[in-house]
Amino acid sequence: MENFQDYFESGILEQYALGELSPAEQAEVEAKAAAHPEIREELAQVQAALGFYAEAHAITPPAGMSERVLTNVLAQIAAPAANTSLRNEVDAVAAQVAPVAPEAGVRPMYAAPAEAPASRSWAIAASVALLLSLLGNALLYTNWKSASSELVALQNENSRFATTTTVVEKKLDDLRQENQVLRNDEFHAVALAGTKAAPSAHARVLFNAATHKVYVDVRSLPALPAGKQYQLWALDKGKPIDAGVLTVATATGEGLQHMKDIASAQTFAMTVEPAGGSVNPTLTTMTVVGNI
Amino acid sequence: MSDTSLISLPPAAEAELVRRLQARDESAMTLFYERYSAALYGVIFRIVKAEDESEDVLQEALVKIWHAFASYDPSKGRLFTWVLNICRNLSIDKIRSRQHRVGSRTQGLDDSLTAQRQAAPTSFRPEHIGLQEITKKLVPEQRQIIDLLYFEGFTQSEVAEELNIPLGTVKTRARTAIKVLSKLIR
Repeated sequence: MENFQDYFESGILEQYALGELSPAEQAEVEAKAAAHPEIREELAQVQAALGFYAEAHAITPPAGMSERVLTNVLAQIAAPAANTSLRNEVDAVAAQVAPVAPEAGVRPMYAAPAEAPASRSWAIAASVALLLSLLGNALLYTNWKSASSELVALQNENSRFATTTTVVEKKLDDLRQENQVLRNDEFHAVALAGTKAAPSAHARVLFNAATHKVYVDVRSLPALPAGKQYQLWALDKGKPIDAGVLTVATATGEGLQHMKDIASAQTFAMTVEPAGGSVNPTLTTMTVVGNI
Repeated sequence: MSDTSLISLPPAAEAELVRRLQARDESAMTLFYERYSAALYGVIFRIVKAEDESEDVLQEALVKIWHAFASYDPSKGRLFTWVLNICRNLSIDKIRSRQHRVGSRTQGLDDSLTAQRQAAPTSFRPEHIGLQEITKKLVPEQRQIIDLLYFEGFTQSEVAEELNIPLGTVKTRARTAIKVLSKLIR
């Protein structure tokens, strides 16, 4: 009794009754109350005292309120599909379970009154089982949802990666071709030096006399005005032949560009022409030139 | 409500009501309402202090009670204690969310006590058990502490801070007050 007195003096039962305790502390008090009748009795007294205090402050709800509240409450507990569907499922399960009981083996003679509690406990067991299963399903559903959204994310990542790979492979293929051109002895490198108009300009033409293939490789060219493009010309016995226009990428020196085939040439030159190129070179705009 | 107080409602009558409610007998809800609504509304109104919001809380509490009946365990306490706690918790949640909305966490003590004094006389029934007796038997300091704990949702530490007295004093006064109340029941 002594140590209970200390426990009572701590005020924890009051805190429990007033709802001040954490769930863990509540459970502790409940366990103690279940184990010790003295504590159970003391707690019941505290609760009764507070209940008495509450009841002393009773106020009959104002006229009209009771009808409204009761009507709304009865409507809410009777109707709502969301809440009753679970109920119906539980009842359905209980109904399936219940008829089994009377048939099951020996039936005590006093079974009649016991039957209702038995089917109720079956119903409770079924409800608990169903609830657990619903909780389990909810958990699985949540997991499944998050797994499937993770899968979508991974698929996106994967397709992005595949696109990147395609781009990289294409670049690699371009580089391989360029490498083949550069390492091929059949290609003749023609250095194109800047003219007076652009002394620092510098480019190369790689020309294969046997296959007639022409590649251009820009080192440095002056920036172009809007609407203009560099055009490569081959001069065969003094006669200019169009070898195609340079793309922006090529003109800024990003890599080799495969130009039009040229059957025969002694000199290559580049001029600035209106976008799309010209039929005849504008000689005044010649930027670089070089002989084979 | 005749002369049967809820805390002394005959165990058999309470057990029968619990049985019907747990069996989800909707007509028992009307019976439950008739028996308990005044006590529950009184507590809700003294915590929430506004009639329309109290009505909302009462309704919410009754629906919640209905759905939670399966989890009510008579061995852990009286039905009245259990439903009172549900109503108190909902009411305290209500005023906390309101204080949160307004931005000031705790109402000043003077304000809350004044509000309570103004709220109290509206429609309590002086013929009802014990309130005058309680007023006579509890010293003002005890009553103030019980009111703060019970109707304002303060914790014992918050009461100590609010009244600027040691926590031990709060505990002692609360315990003494509760002892006085439980003597009045008999």
